[in-house]
Amino acid sequence: MKTFNYLRATDVDVALQRIAVEPGARFLGGGTNLVDLMREGIEAPETLIDITRLPLDGIEELPDGGLRIGALVRNSDLAAHPVVRGRYPFLSQAILLGATGQIRNMATVGGNLLQRTRCLYFYDEASACNKREPGAGCAAREGFNRGNAVLGTSDACVATHPSDMAVALAAIDAVVEVRSSRGTRHIPLTEFHLLPGTTPHLESQLESDELITAVELPPLPVAAHSYYRKVRDRASYAFALVSVAAALDFGADGRIADVRLALGGVATKPWRARTAEQLLLGAAASEDSFATAAAAELAAAVPLPGNAFKIDLACRTVVAVLRRLTTERSGS
Amino acid sequence: MTTVEAGVAGGVGTSPKRPDGGLKVRGEFAFSSDLWADDMLWGATLRSPHPHARIRGIDITAAVALPGVYAVLTHEDVPGAKRYGLEIVDQPVLAMGEVKYQGEPVAVVAADHPETARRAAARIVVDYEVLPAVTEASLGVLLRHVPIRTGDPDATADVVVTGEYQVGMQDQAFLGPESGLAVPAEDGGVDLYIATQWLHVDQKQVADCLGLPAEKVRLTLAGVGGAFGAREDLSMQVHASLLALHTGRPVKMVYGREESFFGHVHRHPATMWYEHGATRDGKLVYVKAKIVLDGGAYASSSTAVAANAATLGIGPYEVPNVVMDASVYYTNNPPCGAMRGFGAVQACFAYESQMDKLASALGLDPVEVRLRNAMTTGSRMPTGQIVEGPAPVADLLIRVRSAPPAPEGSGDLREMPGGVSNTTHGEGVVRGIGYGIGIKNVAFSEGFDDYATARVRLELIGGEPAVLVHTAAAEVGQGLVTVQAQIARTELGVERVTVATADTSVGSAGSSSASRQTYMTGGAVRAACQAVRAALLARVGGARLDGGKVLSDSGAVIADLASVIGDGPIEETVEWRHRPTYPLDPVTGQGNAHVQYAFAAHRATVDVDVELGLVRVVEIVTAQDVGKAVNPLAVEGQIHGGTAQGLGLALMEEIQMVDGIVRNPSFTDYLIPTILDMPPMKVDVLEMADPHSPYGLRGVGEPPTISSTPAVVAAVRAATGKALTRVPVRPEHIVG
Ligand SMILES: Cc1cc2nc3c(=O)[nH]c(=O)nc-3n(C[C@H](O)[C@H](O)[C@H](O)COP(=O)(O)OP(=O)(O)OC[C@H]3O[C@@H](n4cnc5c(N)ncnc54)[C@H](O)[C@@H]3O)c2cc1C
Repeated sequence: MKTFNYLRATDVDVALQRIAVEPGARFLGGGTNLVDLMREGIEAPETLIDITRLPLDGIEELPDGGLRIGALVRNSDLAAHPVVRGRYPFLSQAILLGATGQIRNMATVGGNLLQRTRCLYFYDEASACNKREPGAGCAAREGFNRGNAVLGTSDACVATHPSDMAVALAAIDAVVEVRSSRGTRHIPLTEFHLLPGTTPHLESQLESDELITAVELPPLPVAAHSYYRKVRDRASYAFALVSVAAALDFGADGRIADVRLALGGVATKPWRARTAEQLLLGAAASEDSFATAAAAELAAAVPLPGNAFKIDLACRTVVAVLRRLTTERSGS
Repeated sequence: MTTVEAGVAGGVGTSPKRPDGGLKVRGEFAFSSDLWADDMLWGATLRSPHPHARIRGIDITAAVALPGVYAVLTHEDVPGAKRYGLEIVDQPVLAMGEVKYQGEPVAVVAADHPETARRAAARIVVDYEVLPAVTEASLGVLLRHVPIRTGDPDATADVVVTGEYQVGMQDQAFLGPESGLAVPAEDGGVDLYIATQWLHVDQKQVADCLGLPAEKVRLTLAGVGGAFGAREDLSMQVHASLLALHTGRPVKMVYGREESFFGHVHRHPATMWYEHGATRDGKLVYVKAKIVLDGGAYASSSTAVAANAATLGIGPYEVPNVVMDASVYYTNNPPCGAMRGFGAVQACFAYESQMDKLASALGLDPVEVRLRNAMTTGSRMPTGQIVEGPAPVADLLIRVRSAPPAPEGSGDLREMPGGVSNTTHGEGVVRGIGYGIGIKNVAFSEGFDDYATARVRLELIGGEPAVLVHTAAAEVGQGLVTVQAQIARTELGVERVTVATADTSVGSAGSSSASRQTYMTGGAVRAACQAVRAALLARVGGARLDGGKVLSDSGAVIADLASVIGDGPIEETVEWRHRPTYPLDPVTGQGNAHVQYAFAAHRATVDVDVELGLVRVVEIVTAQDVGKAVNPLAVEGQIHGGTAQGLGLALMEEIQMVDGIVRNPSFTDYLIPTILDMPPMKVDVLEMADPHSPYGLRGVGEPPTISSTPAVVAAVRAATGKALTRVPVRPEHIVG
């Protein structure tokens, strides 16, 4: 590990002033991803600005029925929050299906959004990786790419975005609030992460001097009836092969009146499945309509030899979750 | 044996509390990575990034120049033998002109801080000329071929089933990475504190490489955090010793998790072709098999693994005609060697898959077809060896079959495929049941001079009789320290027993491997206790020991035990051997190669979410004959742990190799079962004494690993109808 300076910020403005003059500095949240990357020599910030003492750890109900979540709220606390569990159950589930209790106790909302890919070649300094070293090439294409993405990929990069929480947030249309010494911006979560294109090292819209201060959830009645489903290689403590965040509501005519769908484990960013949503909206709830919608969403998928199975698995998972939501709805 | 003392607490057949148990649970146990010496330096290793390359030059200038660096060594600094190896001396201490696998050590560094040592290693410039890598066993250089021929090679049968099976590269995945501390001694030698499986085989190799006589290389066992075969070969032993001798300072080396994946051998990946011929009523007529094992870059214990795969390769069945060829090849993959089950694991997956296939071709129940061919005492192995001890193969199968069926799910998500992943809530779930039975040899084979040494001292401490047991046997977590004390208590009727730390100041105990240590070191401790007892009785002309008294033939009390020992302590050292084994005929594979066989059977019940390809093993029932449960709790622990390791191989564990490069050297990417993946187990322990072994016991550690894999896979097949010819089985194989 390279040596670095450490400083603890207790005031947002001070943290922002510091990062503005020191582009080599990074914010330290729970450290569960950044410290690993530093140990591996993949990131080497000159200064760590510890932000965990900043007063950004509250969860506030908004007058419109939405929720404002401080960027330093720990993943465990967010998952356990009664309003999240009641109004956005799939967000709570998504968080609880990620990592382990110990890690979730440390991990923060901001850090979770910005966690970096688990692509094996990103972690292996001896391999070519455009994300680590722009222009170096992508060894994953020819390598062991079972965990890599099929959606949103480019010639330059097929790395999966690993977050579970962000998949649910994408389905919710959450908004990320970011601040810098230049001011405050609001970025829709679905636009927050960037597709790799020819610049896979650029992963989000966040500028190097910006701090995530909060994530806001709009009121979303359909989310009260939602599921996050994660398909992985063992029962716990594994990243997703495929995950689906889904919320479904029916109109008086029995047709789908509202739907939210997002995918994880298969895409280079938290993947809002808008194509599928559009097909589902107004459709009858049936195996057919679910399968058609899922297939349409995955039509854009570009498989690699090791991960082609994910296309079918993703379709199956979408259908299974929607079926479950439908059965529960008609049962109740 | 006439005089085994009964009634003393904590003896053979009981489960006394183990001394390391509480410490480990509380996190207070000192593992080898916790070793510390004032003034010590830290070692680090530079490893090859290439699976195959010529080394044109090594420039250490920049590393040496780093402040805090005390030594940078390459192969030129190795004073003695430049290579070592368990069976074939072929592995360089540090690469000489060529590297043959990714992770091969090239240079070592000692510095005053671990980070400095790592940085210095990174500053070493190695000029590599990358060479093509051979990464397919079938394209490699043959290391050993073990043929077995019995009966008619051209036998024909009514019903024939064939199959090709593959087993991926499994890792031992112990939790305590390779580590140790080398301390230079005044006599020019070195004292090495080390987590290993066999102190004396390490001692010999280290001494040879250092160019020192064995007595100048003294090893003491440090706290071992699991082994499973991965500590049979050397890792940092020579490196740390070299650095200590060069710097005159103690040197500690601890591998990180990633480095650990390169620091030890793995289970041999295997490709296996089988043809089984049977009569219409299900009696096996012949088996033809070809097993190809990937040995990796250096020999390690590959030759013995191949012999096991061959000799145990048709399973615990009577087969009159066998054509078996097991071969292991050198490649540029990481060296493969010992891992729990040692060649028997791979073969069992294949032959048990074949037995299921045969059952279905015959329209028979899978257990039924096994019963019709089950070997028994007196059966002949394909090597011609007659199975002398108990071979309750049929009994084990019947026991697991007749256990009550696994309970229906309670609806708790944790019991469903995907577990808490919020996948199926019961819909789309299909249950399947599968069986597996396996055979394993215990202890070393093929004429190896297999022995263990024990020194036992009976003395008075504070006026009270006390026993000191001293062996070099490695406690690797299996509970061997406890077992040695139990045996001494039973044999000498003395409750107060201390087991000294294992080191090389006593003779070799052999390895804590091949399920052999309770048999071998247990046998040696028993024999040494018996010698002590004989000497004790001789002092006063007594006939036996009872209740702390020496008794005459007629049962009259001659003396108090304490008063007899009062004349001076009694100490005996015994080297103890099992019955000899013999080499295999190189052409026919005939020979009495093994000393004891052990058997276990498994029944696995799985629920499969056939829509998403997720498997939940809901229950495992197992039956195993252990001859004598010397420590029933430890026996159960071995069976639980071994079964879990077999489940891991069935469903998730594999080192992913791509062109000779390990792609998942971390516990984030190499998955082993968690507690949520392990089902409740029903363990049925049989005790059918082997007349030739101490207390009739049978090695316990490996059999549970062997048959759990095929049982789990058979259950998944039953639920899905998929062929599943490769392990680990993953979701895509089920839905694909
Ligand atoms: C073994 C393991 C298994 C895991 N399994 C899963 C899993 O199954 N699913 C899953 O979703 N995740 C998983 N994770 C990842 C885990 O969720 C992330 O590591 C965690 O969420 C990161 O949060 P953190 O606060 O620790 O981030 P840090 O490591 O502190 O930071 C991560 C990045 O975010 C930046 N950052 C942090 N906060 C802010 C802020 N407020 N403003 C601007 N930048 C900021 C940091 O500078 C850094 O670049 C796993 C992690 C581990 C180690």
